[in-house]
Amino acid sequence: MNIIVAIKQVPDLDYIRIRDRRPIMEDVPQVIGDIDKSALAAAVDLKESAGGNVIIVSAGDENLEDTIKEGLAAGADEAVLVKDARLAGMESSVIGTVLAATISKIENGGLIIFGEGSADNYSGQVVSRVAQILGYPQVGYVNWIEIEERVAQATRSLENEEETVEIPLPAVMSVVSEIKEPKIPSVSSILKARNKPKRVYTLDDLGIEIPENRYVRTVINLAPVSQRKGILIKSVDELVKVFESEGIIRR
Amino acid sequence: MEFNLTKEQQMIQSAARDYAEKAIAPLIEDIVEKNEVPLEIIEGLKELDLFALPISDEYGGAGAGYASYVLAEEQLSRICPGVAVIVSVNNVGAAAMSIFGTEEQKKKYLPMVTKGDGVFSFAFTEPGTGSDPKQITATADRDGDFYVLNGTKRFITNSSYEGPMIVFAKDTETGHINGYIIDKFCEGYSISEPWKKMGVRGAPLYDVYLRDVKIPQDNILGEPGQGFWILKVAMALGKIGICSIFLGAMLAAYEEGLAYATAKTHRGAPIAKFQAIQMAIADMFMKYEAARWMAYRIGYLADNARDKGDILKDSAAAKIFITETAIDVARIALNIHGSYGLMEDYKISRVWKDVIFGPQVEGVSHLLKVLVAGEIFRDLKG
Repeated sequence: MNIIVAIKQVPDLDYIRIRDRRPIMEDVPQVIGDIDKSALAAAVDLKESAGGNVIIVSAGDENLEDTIKEGLAAGADEAVLVKDARLAGMESSVIGTVLAATISKIENGGLIIFGEGSADNYSGQVVSRVAQILGYPQVGYVNWIEIEERVAQATRSLENEEETVEIPLPAVMSVVSEIKEPKIPSVSSILKARNKPKRVYTLDDLGIEIPENRYVRTVINLAPVSQRKGILIKSVDELVKVFESEGIIRR
Repeated sequence: MEFNLTKEQQMIQSAARDYAEKAIAPLIEDIVEKNEVPLEIIEGLKELDLFALPISDEYGGAGAGYASYVLAEEQLSRICPGVAVIVSVNNVGAAAMSIFGTEEQKKKYLPMVTKGDGVFSFAFTEPGTGSDPKQITATADRDGDFYVLNGTKRFITNSSYEGPMIVFAKDTETGHINGYIIDKFCEGYSISEPWKKMGVRGAPLYDVYLRDVKIPQDNILGEPGQGFWILKVAMALGKIGICSIFLGAMLAAYEEGLAYATAKTHRGAPIAKFQAIQMAIADMFMKYEAARWMAYRIGYLADNARDKGDILKDSAAAKIFITETAIDVARIALNIHGSYGLMEDYKISRVWKDVIFGPQVEGVSHLLKVLVAGEIFRDLKG
């Protein structure tokens, strides 16, 4: 049974500069987002007990093959990609359809893991759409997984409690970043990544036609403004009083 | 002409940066105080193949080439130049053996220093000479199928770790200078107390004493009489490490200067608003960028040179420029800090004590300028 991990390439947040409260996206490299890296690290861990291969699925533009080397260096065995320039800025329902069609091409897929939200817009919608299209059960906010035969146990990290559920496979799960800290890849695994098996499809190969006007248009994307209050403090007692009046601490 | 890093190079750079920040940075005060890098750091670097990056994967290295090596060493040195020096000296020995060693020597020693428990040392300098091979006084006497080595080697890095050492000594029979391979801590091998050095802490320097160290005749590196050429290649490759290390220290200085200029306030606003500070920041950026591309190009040249000795002029020129420029940048960053920069609570004080090493090691700047000029004249004559 194979473990499938859905990965999204996102702009490297460390390289985004802000000018006039707007992000400058030129020359920002594409990378795999942090939660997706955790999802992949969890999958590579699971492979040791559950067997099979870890297969990445991803959809994106012409940079995708380069970006996905990060995932292959991090321990994935194979990548199944959809590369099409029309996918840039596409809304979640289309991406969900594309990923579901891609996952259907993979034989013996058991568990399909997503990060709970992407590092760029964090809508968290694609996972449920894929589960719906494939007709698989879905579990969200997972921080621990164990697989035995064709059944998975998963612990969900909820606001005030943790819940452990049992779920028959195949199933779709979204995981939180705490599930597994990604390892630093070795130089050898980085260099071997380019030789790992890859299948690349286009939208035409998958028989998917994109409906018109399904692109997300960002109306405005402004960085928050931080303003200093300029309060002059002369003693610790005064500082405590200010904190109390601002509601930062309570006695 | 291509100035972009490949995806693989970007990933190697990130791997080194992540390891340095996560594993080395939390230990830096301890490393500086004890002048010692914990063994688990060396083991961690070996696990990630960052310890012997250019060495062939056939012998446990990564086979990633010198362009990637420069990127990784810069990032390690940005956090701790001492760690990067240990890696660099290991690479000089391992690279010399990769080029000149026999298959038996490579199989015996290289896996030890790429993945195993050993670290390479390279012993040329003596109390009486740091640059002139003709002044070497260490001797190798033939004794049947063996050589017997005697002499003192000075400022030798990695000599307190187990592993191989290449010792340059004079064959008393032929008068040739040769490289001889010894196992550290064999009979007759001993080291001094570490020198009390002011910077680049974590990579201690020792004097090494060889008293009747007996090695098999096969432990000569390359052909007898090839010692000068081995030295030339090793010097060229060693300078790539030094370029990267002081580029990393320069980057640390630049980052510290920039961070202080934007955090320190005067009359309610960051000092970065003053034009004098802005000029200082622009100077640091210009100098770092010039040094960076010079260092990256040396890595590229080493990957593409048919004979690694051919890059000696370029690597010496880059080494002079980068190490001198690292001092310039650290001085600017120190000036931005004002008197705070003199306090050990501020990282720039440590960086200053690190960068001052650059022009003095692996060939002092004046000597290297003579070497560079000599190579230029030689090219002119054809």
